[in-house]
Order: sequence, then C-alpha cells, then structure tokens
Amino acid sequence: MNPIIAKALEEGRYKLLEHESFELLRQYNIPTPEFALVQDVNEALKVVKDIGYPVALKVVSPDIIHKSDVGGVILNINSDDELRAACERIRRNISEKAPYARVVGFLLQKMVPEGLETIIGATRDAIFGHVLMFGLGGVLVEVLQDVSFRIVPITEDDARSMIREIKGYRLFNGYRNMPARDEEAVVYILTRFSELLSENPNIVEADLNPVIVLERGKGAYAADARFIIGLS
Amino acid sequence: MSMAQESDEAKATVTSSVDLLFNPGSVAIIGATPRENSVGGVITKLLLSKFKGKVFLVNPKYDEINGVKCYKSILDIQESVDTVVVVVPAPAVPRVIDESIKKGVKAAIIISGGFSEVGEEGAKLEEELRRIAQGRIRVLGPNCIGVYNAYNGFDTFFLPEERMGRPQPGPIALISNSGAVAGAILDWAARRNIGVGLAVNYGNKLDVNEAELLEYFARDSRVRVIVMYMEGLKYPGEGKRLLEVMREVATVKPIVVYKAGRSRAAAGAVKSHTAALAGSYEMYRAMFRQVGVIEANNLTDTFDMAKALATQPLPRGNRVLVITDSGGMGIQSIDALDSYGLMVPELSESIQDILRKRLPPLAVTRNPIDLTGSATDAMYKYVLDTILPTTYVDMALIIALMQIPGLTINLGNYIVEAKRFNKPIVVVSFGGNEYVVKFERILEDNGIPVYHAPHRAARALGALYEYARFRGFVRGVMA
Repeated sequence: MNPIIAKALEEGRYKLLEHESFELLRQYNIPTPEFALVQDVNEALKVVKDIGYPVALKVVSPDIIHKSDVGGVILNINSDDELRAACERIRRNISEKAPYARVVGFLLQKMVPEGLETIIGATRDAIFGHVLMFGLGGVLVEVLQDVSFRIVPITEDDARSMIREIKGYRLFNGYRNMPARDEEAVVYILTRFSELLSENPNIVEADLNPVIVLERGKGAYAADARFIIGLS
Repeated sequence: MSMAQESDEAKATVTSSVDLLFNPGSVAIIGATPRENSVGGVITKLLLSKFKGKVFLVNPKYDEINGVKCYKSILDIQESVDTVVVVVPAPAVPRVIDESIKKGVKAAIIISGGFSEVGEEGAKLEEELRRIAQGRIRVLGPNCIGVYNAYNGFDTFFLPEERMGRPQPGPIALISNSGAVAGAILDWAARRNIGVGLAVNYGNKLDVNEAELLEYFARDSRVRVIVMYMEGLKYPGEGKRLLEVMREVATVKPIVVYKAGRSRAAAGAVKSHTAALAGSYEMYRAMFRQVGVIEANNLTDTFDMAKALATQPLPRGNRVLVITDSGGMGIQSIDALDSYGLMVPELSESIQDILRKRLPPLAVTRNPIDLTGSATDAMYKYVLDTILPTTYVDMALIIALMQIPGLTINLGNYIVEAKRFNKPIVVVSFGGNEYVVKFERILEDNGIPVYHAPHRAARALGALYEYARFRGFVRGVMA
C-alpha cells in the first residue's frame, strides 16, 4: 500500500490532507503547482523564496471540510508583508470560526496562471472498479452535466476520446479571443491518474478540481485535489 | 465467493463443456412431462421432435411419454448423457444435479426458477447448488430459458412453437439477460427472416455468465455478429472481467449491445463529482465505448445494425454514394448519414459527365444521385457499376421505391451483383405490395440488408463505419 495512504488509514483518517494529496499526485508525475507544508510564518517566509510569488495560503486540518467557509484560504499573496498578514488572518479566522479544529499547518501553494478549468474525478464501483470522469469545471459541470466516463485503466486513445466526447470540447480548440488549450497535457494527466487509481485500490473517491489547462504547449495542472480512502 | 474469484484451474478443466450447453450429443430432460402447456411439456415436445441428438426422458411419475420410455432417475439410463435440462421444482434441483454429476454429465441447463431471484430461501438453495456444481459440472441458469440452436434443433426455449417462431440458422448469435425478451426477439427475427443461429439466456448465472458466452461465440465460426441484450450486471468485479472479454472479442467480431435501464444517475454523479455513479448506465456506456462495442438504442436498432455487420464488408472510409428515385428520401438519408459522421461527397464534374451520358436530363448527378420517377433498373446498374469501383466512395445507400413503373424485380439482381466491388451496400425499400416484398426477399436472401426507412439504413452504415474504425480499417480519421 502506498505509504501516504497507509499512514492516513493508520491514523483513522479516510481523507488525505492537502499536502498528502499533492504528494501522491507528484509521485505519479501529475503536475501540481509548487507547494510546501509550513508550520508558521517564519517557515513560510523561508519557503516562499524557492516557490516565488504570487502564492496562495490554505489551512491544513483534518477537521475542516470547507476551508473557505471558515476563512482558511487566501489567494494572490504577492509579498512578504502580505504573506505575514495572511498567516495571521487565517489563524485568527480559525480560532474564531473553528476553534476546535486541529491545525496541521499551512499549505503554501504557487498561484497558477489562469486557464480553462476542467475536472477529473474518480469513484470506485463494486462492479466496474475505478471509473474515471472528465468534464469542464464550474457551472458547466454542475448545470450542463457535460461529462464523460471511462473504466480504469485507460489508454491514451481512451483519454483523448474522453476529452473530445464532451460538448464543451470546442473550447479546447480556441474560441473567440480564447487560445487553443493543451489537450495532450490533459491526456497525460488522465492516463497518469488512471495508473494512480489502478495501483491504489484503497482510493474510494477522488477529484482533481480544478485541473487548469493552459495554452497549447504550456501544460495543465491539478490546482486542487481530494482523495477519500477506505479499506479495499 | 464471487464468480470472478472462482478457481481458474477448476474452470479450465471443464471449459470445453460450455460447448455441451449448445451441442450435446445426448440430452436428458429431468422433469419431462406429457402435460402440454407446462414448461417441461413444451421442452419435452420440442426436443423429441426437433433435436438431432439423442433424448432421454426422466420423471419417476411416468413409464413412458408419448411412446418414449421414461426413466425414474438419470442413474437408470445405461448410455452416457452429455447434458441435462432440468425442469423440476427448485428444492429438488440440488439432488438432481448431484445425481447428474454421478452419472458423468458435464453440462446442465437449469430452467427451474425459485432461487436467488425469489429471496433469501432461494438464495440459500442457490448457494447449495453452487457448492455441489462447482468445478464438476457447467451450469447455465438457474431461472433461465436456456439455449436455442437453429443448426441442430437443440431448443430449450419453453415457448410453444405456435406462439414463438424459430428463426432460421444464420450468422447472428444472441445473448440475452432476459428470457422473455430473448423469446420475443427470436419470434420477431423469425418473422423477418433474420438468421439467428444461436441464442442463450443465462438467468441467475450461477456459473456460466455473459463473458464466457461471448468468448464461446467468438470461437464459433458460424457466428459473425454477437448481439447482447443487457439489463445489468450484479456481481462484484464482473464489469472488469466483461470489459476485458469484450475488448478481446470485439477485435475478432462485432458485438452489438442494447442496454436497457438507462435512467440517468449523472445528476447525482456530478453533485459529488463522482459518487452515486455505482451501476449507472454511464458506466456501461463508458465500457462499451472503451472496448469497441456498438451500442444500440432499442431492439430494432440492434438488429438493423447486426444485419449489416453480419453481411457487409467493412468500409475503408466514411463516404457514401446515395442513389435514389425519390429526392425526398435522398434528403432524409443525408440528414441521417450526417448524424453518424458519414458524408455524401459531391462527385467530380468529370464523373458527373460520364453519368449524364446515360442518365435522363432530369436526373441529379451530384450525389445523392436522383434518378427520379423515371428511373429504370438499368440506370441503377449503370450508376453502381460506374461509381462503386472508384475511390470516390466507400459504401452505398440505395433507395429503391419500387412503386414507380420503370423498376422491376431484376433491380434486386443488379444490386446483388454489385457485391463484387466489395463495398458495403444497404437498400431502403418502403411499401407493402407483394412485388416489393419479392424484391426485398431477393436482396436479403443474397446478403444485402433492406431497411424500411432511410434513417435505419443510415444507422446500419454508421455501425459498419464505427466498427471499421475500431478495427483500424479506416485510415487517417480521428474520433
């Protein structure tokens, strides 16, 4: 069993913490924004020198499900001063709105350039095993339900047809003043994610949301990740 | 223990016995009866009158049935028995199977119901049956309608012949999740002269499941297309196994599936992005797309496609020649073809010039080629012989409304002759006159599928194209 998953299960957790999720993705070469788990302001100021501004700061806690609701997320931090203030503010927010939450630390994460928001999801089905989902992010996935599915493991061709199957696919080829998107980078993430799932039967549910797709040739990143795990 | 987890070794030693479910040399009907309108009665009558192998009757209540000796127990039969067809009440089935194993029988078709489908008591009985049978005898069912084999008359479909027509031997094999639907399909196919050579319904699939039946039909050279009617899978891990088998079989011969029960779970799926998907239609659809299985929207659709897949060569591209004697039908077919990714390319001026030499001035030569109401057999033949061998088109959709005076039955022969160009041909014919029926008969008897509406013919060509792409016959085209 993957040590990250093993550790979480050992601690009785059925959800990976933010940095654990990113670490798992990194093991499978799935691009994520640069990140680091820090304990306090001083460590944050030191680590940010490597990551570089702008960054986002998020509270990491096994007890907080919706971080933004309790003021646990601050985006677009551009300087040391802003970073100090952000650490302070998140601490204050948490002590006011979620005083009983255990705080593991802060996730310092490089802000990703804007791009086309997509979602890659997975679930473990009793009959089919892991099933992979792809769709456009935000309102498009919720309202239009414009998603496609494949059973794990998938091939590159499967990934390609998964992407092309959704109605919003035209956005990948550029529309009006929006540039064409890096479809092959998504193919890569989908196939790597498929491998991650087949090698980790303990994953019950997973979402990469959003996966930001940049201009053609510039790649794609999982900007956020969520893993629910369980005994297999 | 799930089916997928069964000992592979035990299974391998008896795998060849699956063939005995379809082609036994000798059969014993356990629960044979002279009672005409009972399940056992229909099967007794069917097998005695049609089956080309040896039939033994077993039922302690009778000494003979319609002049045929009836045994008290299978153990009383002196000769060897390959397969048993079991029609006794559920509680007696485990004992009967145990005796059959002692007798050396290798395969059992258990028609009897009253197992897991009726609740906990039945499920216990099914478990007991599984324990007895496992690794010792191959079991189809329980709670199934069994097997129909048009080639040797082995037929356990307990629907009387005057109620359910039996199709002629032919290149389509059917695997059905539902016994009733299987019976209705065969009846329907018989009426339309669609050759369904083999059909099977597996009931509770205590042992033999759809994956293994697919593998079996893949190996049978008489089967050119496998049609599946599916309602759903039920055992853990079954989907994965079926996916693997479908992927393998589809590279050998086409599989057409109609999956019933498509109610959308997508709403829930999207809510949590992933959860609530379990067993939803989306997953089946994903599987079909992944493995090159052609999905149908309903039963007629299924056979429209199967007919073409069973008889036509695979196209090398998506360009369709449309010949019609009705402009309106021509337009309808373009709409339909377009929705399946097929195109009707305009023919070059030079080719059109050649066509114009022998076609009436009013004929439209661009493609669709509209021969109008003054069409004759010879005009169709001329267009087919001129265009079909060229590299401009990959297949042909011929609309022949036979009601116009210039067309005769002979057109059927011309179209059949065009098979020599080795490109798919489908025909649209519409009407009910005896003359029309005769025309259609010539085509269908000679391997040219006929459809009663342009969209159905287009759908059939669409299936050929879809499968050709999956098999790599089409070059340079992406999804």
